[in-house]
Amino acid sequence: MESLSHAFKERSVHALKDETLQVALHRAKDGFAVKRAKAVEGLPEFDALRDRAVAIKNHTLENLDHYLERYEDAVERNGGKVHWASSAEDARRIVVEICQAAGAKMITKGKSMVGEEVGINGALEGAGFEVVETDLGEYIIQLAHEPPSHIIVPAVHKTRGQIADLFHENHQKYGLTRKLSEVPEMVNEARQVLRDKYLAADVGITGANFLIAETGTSVIVTNEGNGDLTCSLPKVHIVTSSIEKVLPTAEDATTLLRLLARSATGQDLTTYTTFSTGPKRPGDTDGPEEYHVVLVDNGRSTMLADQFREMLRCIRCGACMNHCPVYGAIGGHAYGWVYPGPMGSVLTPLSVGLKEAGNLPNACTLNGHCAEVCPVRIPLPDLLRTLRHREYQLKLGLKPLRWGLAAWVWFTTHPRIYRIGTRVQARMLALLAGRKGRFTRMPLAGGWFKGGRDLPAPQGQTFMAVWQRRQKERRQ
Amino acid sequence: MSGRETVLAAIRRGLGRGPLAESARRALDQRQGATDSAPLLPKLPQGPLSQVFRAGLEKVSGSMSEVAAMDAVPDAVAGYLAGRGLAPEAAVAPSLESLDWPAAGIQPTFGPTRGGDYAGVSLAWRGVAENGSLVLLSGPENPTSLNFLPDHHIVVLQGQDLVPHLEPVWAALRERGEQGWPRTVNVITGPSRTADIELTIQLGAHGPRSLHVLLVD
Repeated sequence: MESLSHAFKERSVHALKDETLQVALHRAKDGFAVKRAKAVEGLPEFDALRDRAVAIKNHTLENLDHYLERYEDAVERNGGKVHWASSAEDARRIVVEICQAAGAKMITKGKSMVGEEVGINGALEGAGFEVVETDLGEYIIQLAHEPPSHIIVPAVHKTRGQIADLFHENHQKYGLTRKLSEVPEMVNEARQVLRDKYLAADVGITGANFLIAETGTSVIVTNEGNGDLTCSLPKVHIVTSSIEKVLPTAEDATTLLRLLARSATGQDLTTYTTFSTGPKRPGDTDGPEEYHVVLVDNGRSTMLADQFREMLRCIRCGACMNHCPVYGAIGGHAYGWVYPGPMGSVLTPLSVGLKEAGNLPNACTLNGHCAEVCPVRIPLPDLLRTLRHREYQLKLGLKPLRWGLAAWVWFTTHPRIYRIGTRVQARMLALLAGRKGRFTRMPLAGGWFKGGRDLPAPQGQTFMAVWQRRQKERRQ
Repeated sequence: MSGRETVLAAIRRGLGRGPLAESARRALDQRQGATDSAPLLPKLPQGPLSQVFRAGLEKVSGSMSEVAAMDAVPDAVAGYLAGRGLAPEAAVAPSLESLDWPAAGIQPTFGPTRGGDYAGVSLAWRGVAENGSLVLLSGPENPTSLNFLPDHHIVVLQGQDLVPHLEPVWAALRERGEQGWPRTVNVITGPSRTADIELTIQLGAHGPRSLHVLLVD
């Protein structure tokens, strides 16, 4: 997918003004946080399981080459084939070639974030295939020609009215001409349309939530059952997965499964947890005849080398964005690439470069809520701070900001001057604010005061001065 | 260099080392998973497994009834279908072919389905009390399509196959030896659902609209 992250600021402003989007975001934010909290409360072992999960992922990443090779051995033992894609381009080419070799016309797809990342749909459509997304959310945004705005609920930014319009426009060709308004009838209509697609598809493509090295198994979790219909009905099943999804055993996957759904939707477990191991076996009356796995690196191996290895623990639950005030205000599309929110603000600059996506790590209040809820304890704020540091070192970013930071550094490393400066400044501001004690406008900061917001003026002494006085009083 | 070698070399470069020594790889193979310790199993509520299982299943909008013996399964299926106003027809897993379906007034078709059946009847390999999940193995005796295409999925579970957590399921699959894992292991926890439109939960997205368990105990 092509990045629009350079336009983050303009896109954010646009998002804040989009009233329909704001309604949708407001609904999502509270719902997710409350559901997660309730699910976590119901499992006293949650925190201990998080520690286990961190240990499992760290161990696997340390030995990633070994487990991927073992995984490949096991897949091939079961009659499947593993393909290795170093880049997005490789991944696209491999998938297109498999579909061509299968003589496919129609391809169904389950939700795959790495599929979005490398741009599978565009490549397949370019090669002349009909591609149908089967996850309801992905189907909706495919009809709207939009990228996902959330990693687990891709159409969370759409209202039912907008979805009704999309269905009305796109389902006429199937003889479904009535305009719908209620959620159940919309779900039913999509079920009806997609059912025929599942049955007609020649190839089914799914992602993978986990890969199991011991058995050569790919694991997907869904609630709709679309992933299962996608991988079991067509004669070819292709799994697209990034390399860091591999785990040693099914027991390890189970530990992570206990965290995944609770962190994502607040469910204890998703409805369908499906373990696929190779093509159909002798005697099987259903299932695919071919089973392919495309392992995608696309920059992940580089992340192993430094502190960003921690990011490779990510299990794509979406909890960080569900608890992020910035995501909650602007939604996923403003970020301009596949992964939004805190995890996306780390991944995007690493994938498309800091020059393109340097704004993302800066759009963070460092409130730490994302790290608090992350099931695999990724220190997201620390990683974002490191990216800001890198951006500064690379001399990227706005010049006034860089000068401002340089001035700030000089002051804070000269404490005596800093203290005098702040004391003078506090007094000046208090005088300027007058009797009201509040500012309602200020030069160069018009944006802050929009909509009637004010700013309290400093009162009395600086924090350092108060602190020193108290310490002195205590000693006496 | 092939894609495989390129990716593996890049990983090793990232890890700052060459390929692992054979002895180190063997040591990794000896481990039962990523951590040396046994998996941390959540403590289950007090009471018999069947009760914990039922609570988990009902939490996710599944339903359950108990039958005394396998012979009573066709009658229970007939009762369930009649209760929902459905015709006495079902696509039934060949693993349940030996039961007397005609005696219960049910017209069965045995084998996979292509979507024309309103009801599907399967046999679970295990039931997991922790979340009220069913574990179904694919194979000629248990076609996967029965789990997903019918509107109503009825699953037969034998009391002796109830386990507390998923971990004993993996241990039992290892014990199958050469046979190993089947093509698909489906862990099913409730009927199909979606919340993709305005986060409103709606049952029966693409898979079954209802899930009913017949516990034979």
